[in-house]
Amino acid sequence: MTWQGELLHIFIAEAASMEMEELAEGRMIPGVGIEGDRYATAQGTYSHMPHEDRQCTLMEIETMEALERDHGLPLTPQESRRNLTTRGVPLNHLVGRHFRVGEVLLFGGRLNKPCKYFDDLLGRPLFNPLLNRSGLNCRIIEGGVIRPGDTIRPA
Amino acid sequence: MKILMPAEVTAIRDLTPRIRLFTIKPRKRPAFPPFRGGAHTILQLRPGLRRPYSITSDPTRPESWEVAVLREPEGRGGSRWLHEEAVVGSPIAASFPQQNFVLAEGATRHILIAGGIGITPFLSMLAEAPGAELHYCARAPEDAAFLPELRALLGPRLVTWFASEGRRLDLPALLAAPAPGTHAYACGPARLLEAFSAATAHWPAGQAHLEHFSGLPPGAAGEGAAFEAEIASTGAVIAVPAGVTLLAALRAAGQRVDSACEGGVCGACAVPLEGGEAEHRDMCLKPGERAGQIITCVSRGKGRVRLGL
Repeated sequence: MTWQGELLHIFIAEAASMEMEELAEGRMIPGVGIEGDRYATAQGTYSHMPHEDRQCTLMEIETMEALERDHGLPLTPQESRRNLTTRGVPLNHLVGRHFRVGEVLLFGGRLNKPCKYFDDLLGRPLFNPLLNRSGLNCRIIEGGVIRPGDTIRPA
Repeated sequence: MKILMPAEVTAIRDLTPRIRLFTIKPRKRPAFPPFRGGAHTILQLRPGLRRPYSITSDPTRPESWEVAVLREPEGRGGSRWLHEEAVVGSPIAASFPQQNFVLAEGATRHILIAGGIGITPFLSMLAEAPGAELHYCARAPEDAAFLPELRALLGPRLVTWFASEGRRLDLPALLAAPAPGTHAYACGPARLLEAFSAATAHWPAGQAHLEHFSGLPPGAAGEGAAFEAEIASTGAVIAVPAGVTLLAALRAAGQRVDSACEGGVCGACAVPLEGGEAEHRDMCLKPGERAGQIITCVSRGKGRVRLGL
């Protein structure tokens, strides 16, 4: 697999439905999540159904650009409620694979599924346009600190 | 569910023996987003307890917001929490501004009518309408929050109507003759709003505006016959017994529905209505919106309704 991408943004939210906060660097804790994020502290919308694939979520900036271009639906990285925004990373092909974000090793657990809750939160009909490109839910295998600009590559 | 901004209480001060002013600041951003006068925010006081409050502070000072809260011992718990539990430093969360009540564009004269705690949405509106006139009804001067500030700001354009002084506002006389460009606004207890609606019944559409504060009381919200709610996405049918709100029945069945006022006023718990006949009892949906939405905290169905959940 020959691809290489870039980490654009890091976001966390302290609890369910709280506005996402952009970080200059994120501390990735193996088996837990991103320090301070709702899914690392069991405060998330789905924390009552714990799953290791919720430790870190990623979404492609290309999807957000396509939503605006093809559907006239703006969705900013902060609004996406995913932890990491990527450019040049084929997220849908990384299910069941390991890859690195900077020094951190992630495992692609499963594709993210959009949720009606999200439409309600933002008041835009994003559910259908996001089907099959809603991002990737990952486990953190090896931790460390990541920053925007870090290289993302196969492991 | 609304997106919430983490915030904290940074100051508390008594305006009257029963009304307390809370200053809140955002914890994760330098300032709150902009709003127009008359907006409210839904505060999450603790998980599961959300209530709408008008933002009383100046829209040009976004680094903090203020809300004025009347202590209501018989209410649903929001004012009690703020008066008894909140301290400086209490972490809370605030929704983005909700803008249902706003000054009409292009109006040449604004007549504002406030009853008691219904003064709150007008505080931020006055910053945008320097020439507005305000009629302020309250039991007594000592119960009227913001009175010194309003006197200083409005001078003779503030007219007070205090029962303790034997003065009662004659709404039919004040609102007898609508004029082009004149808009009237009312906020306060149900009795005042009913009188305002009656006094403006002959006004042209869109020139009389009101903001409900108190919806159905807690006991009345669930009154009514049993019915069923079908969830469109799953086909599940949820029984809503007599005496139980649709909102409570949906949540008991595991559906995630937001709410705030729980009296049919704020609209936070609206869900799409896809079929069946509803008995609408809210005070927030416009007539044209009722065909496609239902306010689950107070409204009910007849027989079976189909919900877009």
